[in-house]
Amino acid sequence: MACLSTSGRVVCGTRRQQTHKLFYQIFGSRPGYTTGSGTGANMPGLHRTQQMQFQQAIRPFHGLSFNIGKDYSDLLKNPQNCSHNLNYSQCSKTNLRQHSSVHTQQPAGPVREIQIDPYIILDDELKYFYDDVRDLLQSGTSQPELDTIASYYFDGQGKALRPMVTMLMAKAINYHLNKESHQLVHKQRQIALFSEMVHSASLVHDDVIDQSDFRRGKPSVNALWNHKKVTMAGDYILSVASIMIARLRSDDVTIVLSQILTDLVQGEFMQLGSRETENERFAHYLTKTYRKTASLIANALKATAVIAQAEDNVAELAFQYGRNIGLAFQLVDDMLDFVSSTEQMGKPTAADLKLGLATAPVLFACEKYPELNPMVMRRFSEPGDVERAFELVHKSHGLEQTRFLAKKHCNEAIRLAQELTESPYQKGLQVVADLVINRMK
Amino acid sequence: MYRASGLRIMQQVRGRISGEIQGVYCAVAPALKTFTLQQQVQQQQGRWTATSTVSGKQVAPPQVTPPPRHDWNRAVSEAERIVGYPTSFLSLRWLLSDEIANVALHLRKLVGSAHPLMKTAKHLLYNGKNTMQAWGLIVLLVSKAAGHAPSVPDVEQDKSAGVLHSQRALAEVTEMIRISHLVHNSVVNLQSSTQAGQDVATFDDMSFGNKIGLLTGDYLLGHSSAELANLRNQEVVELISSAVRDFSESEFIGERDEQNNPLPYKPGTFQRPSLSVGVDFNEHDVMAPMPIAQVLGNPEQEWECRNILNAGSLLGKSCQGSLKLAGQSEELQRHAYRFGKHLALAWQACLDAEPFQCPTLPLDATFSLVSAPVLFHLEHDPEMYADLEAGKQSVDNIDYDKIHRAILAGPALNKTKELQRKHTAAALAVLQHFPATDARQALENIILAMQDL
Repeated sequence: MACLSTSGRVVCGTRRQQTHKLFYQIFGSRPGYTTGSGTGANMPGLHRTQQMQFQQAIRPFHGLSFNIGKDYSDLLKNPQNCSHNLNYSQCSKTNLRQHSSVHTQQPAGPVREIQIDPYIILDDELKYFYDDVRDLLQSGTSQPELDTIASYYFDGQGKALRPMVTMLMAKAINYHLNKESHQLVHKQRQIALFSEMVHSASLVHDDVIDQSDFRRGKPSVNALWNHKKVTMAGDYILSVASIMIARLRSDDVTIVLSQILTDLVQGEFMQLGSRETENERFAHYLTKTYRKTASLIANALKATAVIAQAEDNVAELAFQYGRNIGLAFQLVDDMLDFVSSTEQMGKPTAADLKLGLATAPVLFACEKYPELNPMVMRRFSEPGDVERAFELVHKSHGLEQTRFLAKKHCNEAIRLAQELTESPYQKGLQVVADLVINRMK
Repeated sequence: MYRASGLRIMQQVRGRISGEIQGVYCAVAPALKTFTLQQQVQQQQGRWTATSTVSGKQVAPPQVTPPPRHDWNRAVSEAERIVGYPTSFLSLRWLLSDEIANVALHLRKLVGSAHPLMKTAKHLLYNGKNTMQAWGLIVLLVSKAAGHAPSVPDVEQDKSAGVLHSQRALAEVTEMIRISHLVHNSVVNLQSSTQAGQDVATFDDMSFGNKIGLLTGDYLLGHSSAELANLRNQEVVELISSAVRDFSESEFIGERDEQNNPLPYKPGTFQRPSLSVGVDFNEHDVMAPMPIAQVLGNPEQEWECRNILNAGSLLGKSCQGSLKLAGQSEELQRHAYRFGKHLALAWQACLDAEPFQCPTLPLDATFSLVSAPVLFHLEHDPEMYADLEAGKQSVDNIDYDKIHRAILAGPALNKTKELQRKHTAAALAVLQHFPATDARQALENIILAMQDL
């Protein structure tokens, strides 16, 4: 299956638009393909895996569907081959190399012998995920405008990474503990809802703080509505999420999840102004990254273990897995800020530099180019700083080093996942680690 | 030992503060206020525990004979003594936390700018009476007045003050949430379509102020939810979270100007028979929002709904939650909610009437266009709406003097006073469901003092 990437059959991101077009030509005219549900019923003759692939192909939000259209005809001809088509790690790697000239060496670890798409095995939980969030938000207010603002980012266009990882861990733990029940999964799904809602609430507040005009390829909330109302809508999302969690009636879960909120704010404060010495700077950056990004994933995962009444060591494992994935995710994010195009990220590149933030690639680059230090200290505020720093980061090995660090965290996450009893979900957790390191957006 | 070191820290901090500009300490305003108070109270407490070895109820403290003239400050400071110290040492924790020190530093850059955050800070610091910073105190007094179930273990009680540690924590949470709302409300709308968004000279200041305000509010909100979680009572978490929801919802009701200041509806927008009883939350489902649509257009009930969302909800639900923590009956919990709600409404009516107490409006003073006198006057004289329409872009464009004169000439002020009396009486009536104690007496004194303000 590794041959897929070398034989050129994999369609890469640059051609994604085109492939989508092809894909719509194939599926678009057929009724019943507008949503991920019901495909099985429409194609009774197909192998189960194939049906899953179709579902995946129609799923717009995780951006990994691009090879399906191209391989559609192969699939029909050659069903036993179909399960090998999902090697997204390979295609995104190829893709990454196209965009970033810095990766001259083979960047990647072993090709994972797992053919699991976490989004597919979690289809039951994630299918109506955003609908459920929107319903919940709607039920809490009589004011249509508040509902509109609060639901704005729950349009299904996000990657849904947090809920996906949360549900994977939940189900992997249930399998590990051998106590899968519908009721338990439902509660764990509420935790997944919470993670996405808190994430969105923080995006809404970030938009007011950063005054950015676009997010996820559409106008950001602060461009559309009164900032005071946007602020209140963020508070509203939080309060509704808290009510939902309180209704799980688990003291420990509430305590674990409330930690997320304090961490998030502390992370923001750390980002406000830092005057550390060069030695402290990297530790400061990592702590900030943990608080701003990883804590949410880590504690949400831990909460799914807590509600399943797992032993402390399992809860700790879930937490550490989430922490590592979260850190890797943010490191890759910080790296992509330097290498992706605006189009792919849905927000401008070098955005962090423009906000005056020194992320891992810059901090690594400082070692080779000490002239970056004063720029970091003045938060790239002087004219030309952003451009110069951008250039120096690309000249240095900052991006590879960042990626290497992310890779280390991913490997640790995979190691942790392997401690759980083997199950499709446990494998899914390992796939996620690959997904995080090789993602494009 | 602890006290001594606490005092030393406070003195150090105080030294630090005196060097700073005072207005800077918005987020720590209650802490600042309690500096002096805490010192006094600590001294008092030392004296108090020395002289009285029995519980507070049997000692005949001076407040049993109510002061002849109901004096607000006296009523409040005596009430504070009954429940120990006003707010807890958390205030000190705030002050020494990295984040708040950070906020203080950043806020200093804002001094002199026109950002409303500074006004909020000043308000919290100097205008204690008008912002009713005694909310935590009210929660503690209600807690003490109700007492707690015998099943509550000794370690969870603060014997000398007669309240539970968890109730004290809830009182702090109440204050934190309220301040977080005030601070979040100071965010300036900087949309490019607005005046503030186009003013290049102040844009950076405003944007920076927004950042600090937003983060400070989030900090308070985040910490209050952590404190709440530690109470280990999910019904209380649910209840208080819904009060946060009500706060945010209150900022969406009705028409708004560019800066989200509320404007009244045009008279005649709604044609509804007025309800015989006011609306309130669904007792059985905290998620269900206030059914405010039913009362829009009816001045008194619309005012009531707006202000329940804006104030009564948090105070009422905190009082209710506090009794939940003490294991009190559902019935008494409901009384506590009603007490908090009516007290907040009476207080709001009192605040609404204040700008109309003098024959001319003081220079630069304004009032809310959805305050009770304005709403009552609009019912009496719908023509006045024409003058309010000037405020659609910004309420600053309105001729406040003219409206002030018109309202004074009409019956609205008396109706507002009547409204205040109605809620005062309701609060006092609910209080009769609580046993007669010094705490109940203190609550009565506060209400009576408020009436005389």
